[in-house]
Amino acid sequence: MKYQSQKVAYPYFVVALLLFTLQIVLGLWIAFNYWFTVPQAVVNVFPFSTARAMHTNLLVLWMLLGFMGATFYAVPEETQSELAWPKMAYAQLVLLVATGVAALVGFLFGWTQGRPLLEIPTALDFLVVIGVLMFLANVGVTILRARRFTAVQGSLLGGLVFLALLYLFGMPFYRNLAVDWYYWWWVIHLWVEGAWELVTAALVAFMLIQLTGVERKVIEKWLYVELGLFLFTGIAGTGHHYYWLAAPRYWLWVGGIFSALEPFPVLLMLVDTWRVMKERKTPLEPRLTWVFLYGMAVLHFVGAGVFGFAHTLPQVNYYTHGSQVTVSHGHLAFYGAYALVNLSFFYFAMPHLRNLPGGRYDERGGHFAFWMASLGVVGLSLAFAVAGVLQAYLERMQGQPYIVAQQPIRFWMAIAFCFGLVVLGGVAHIVKHLLTLKPPPAAPA
Amino acid sequence: MSQASAKAIFWVGTVLSLALFLALTVDTHGKFDALTHADRLDEKVVAGKRVFESRNCNDCHTILGFGAYYAPDLTRAFTRMGEDAIRHRLERPEEALAASYRKMPQQRLSPMEIDRLVDFLRWVSGIENNDWPPQDSESRWTTSTRRLLAGAALSPGAALISEEACLACHALGDRGERKGPRMEWIGSRRDAAWIADYVADPGKVLPGAAMPPYDKLTASQRNAIGEFIVSLPGGRGRETP
Repeated sequence: MKYQSQKVAYPYFVVALLLFTLQIVLGLWIAFNYWFTVPQAVVNVFPFSTARAMHTNLLVLWMLLGFMGATFYAVPEETQSELAWPKMAYAQLVLLVATGVAALVGFLFGWTQGRPLLEIPTALDFLVVIGVLMFLANVGVTILRARRFTAVQGSLLGGLVFLALLYLFGMPFYRNLAVDWYYWWWVIHLWVEGAWELVTAALVAFMLIQLTGVERKVIEKWLYVELGLFLFTGIAGTGHHYYWLAAPRYWLWVGGIFSALEPFPVLLMLVDTWRVMKERKTPLEPRLTWVFLYGMAVLHFVGAGVFGFAHTLPQVNYYTHGSQVTVSHGHLAFYGAYALVNLSFFYFAMPHLRNLPGGRYDERGGHFAFWMASLGVVGLSLAFAVAGVLQAYLERMQGQPYIVAQQPIRFWMAIAFCFGLVVLGGVAHIVKHLLTLKPPPAAPA
Repeated sequence: MSQASAKAIFWVGTVLSLALFLALTVDTHGKFDALTHADRLDEKVVAGKRVFESRNCNDCHTILGFGAYYAPDLTRAFTRMGEDAIRHRLERPEEALAASYRKMPQQRLSPMEIDRLVDFLRWVSGIENNDWPPQDSESRWTTSTRRLLAGAALSPGAALISEEACLACHALGDRGERKGPRMEWIGSRRDAAWIADYVADPGKVLPGAAMPPYDKLTASQRNAIGEFIVSLPGGRGRETP
């Protein structure tokens, strides 16, 4: 850690990790709901919908806090200066966490905007906006004061401003359901296939520069190409959500063609990471950080690129839209891309934040935890995929009533639940390992 | 590749995609009203949407395929189940889903809120969205009933329906007349034995019925008609009886 103000990142990471664990616990309860019959008395008090709102909002909250913490860590190094207002960064964390807790407790009492993933009531939305403005001001002023601009910073800040602007489209009440969903996707799709990809690409480029000693110019050049492809395919690719919401037929063409290209930037990121890893000028250390980083590149490609493409063509999507196939893709893509990029960054930054010499740490236990969590998520995504294909075939193609077609799916939800337990075990280990990082054991003489 | 061409890829790619997306967004806005029948989108429907959101319905059900997948899609719920079944589930979910392995919470809706939800679901059911979802698709349904009638050689019931010209009064799929109730509607409400009795002497089963008696048919023929009618996919299509 070269700059004192970088340490504001630490509490962000800690809170993010705890919220991540809570998210998985709620996920297990959700899978349990698919598998078992929860009695009416429980359903009346704590319905599936409330648990799902909590599960998804926790995801958004912990990942955004992770991104923000990572930004606070990266920007001083990139600008070669201290953060403009470190104290405001703490205040911002308190505000956002308080808002998040208020939202989660509110859900339990039915205080909701009632739109999936955007359930946070409008009053709290304004607090989120204030928190994000504090964040952007802090980072923006730091960069402006330092007068040192890099492509990494540009991508990071561009992604975060884009992210904040898009959030505004999710706030109003829309009279027309079709228009409502049209703009809902401006938040959801353009976040995960636009703004968040910019942030991810920037954080990966930052870590690669720091870890490998490969020339910045080379890494930034490929960063431009990646970003260009992400935005070229991702923006018009929003059309793959407009097939069945009462938008004109040309979206079938636009969505189909652009989203067929969407795997390429992710593939480029994978190839890039591989190439830089080969060209590195330093040893592959710490090994575990690399396992996370490379695991991210691979699962990002499989989850977002391959699983996404699998049901994005209109001819396929007609049968798989709004089924467990989406759930399968969603879990693997979010874990592969955004959970792992956050965890990679935590592993990259934590040793410095904890003042471990040379950024080295005791890796024992961490490797096992990585494989446990990752194979768990792969397993549950495959279980969801089987459930999704069954649903598409039985309900959509054969025309069985919904509840009849769900019967054989319950078994696969039980399998997903078991894999969920594995994920919880793996993530609990990761959290514990990260929060208690120790210096490496002395090498035997 | 040079730094300059990498930057060019970034700017050209981003601007092209953004320009296309924004241009299509403007065009799409001009077409939403027609595709969603905005003329029927009155204050009652909007009030229904607010009730729908207040109870977080969308975090169990999908609508237009979006939301959670824990409960059936609601896009065509109105045409699939009809108003009565919707009201029953909203008023007394514990009773409507007593035998089901998946429950719906009691939402404590006022009678007016239920009315508005029905208005909302009625409006949603008319949205033209490229014939999704497939299980409620109008065109798939008409093709399958056409096939059913074309299968007269294999199905004695279908053969009798054609021979006796039932479709001169009743509708089936996109065929027939609308003097009597739609065949699918009958099939979803009566059993085969009741239909067989009714066909023999409508006036005896329902005094005042307009349908003439078909007592020249044998009991097994009337049973075949009954079996055929109850085997039809019930409650399909956007028309009520």
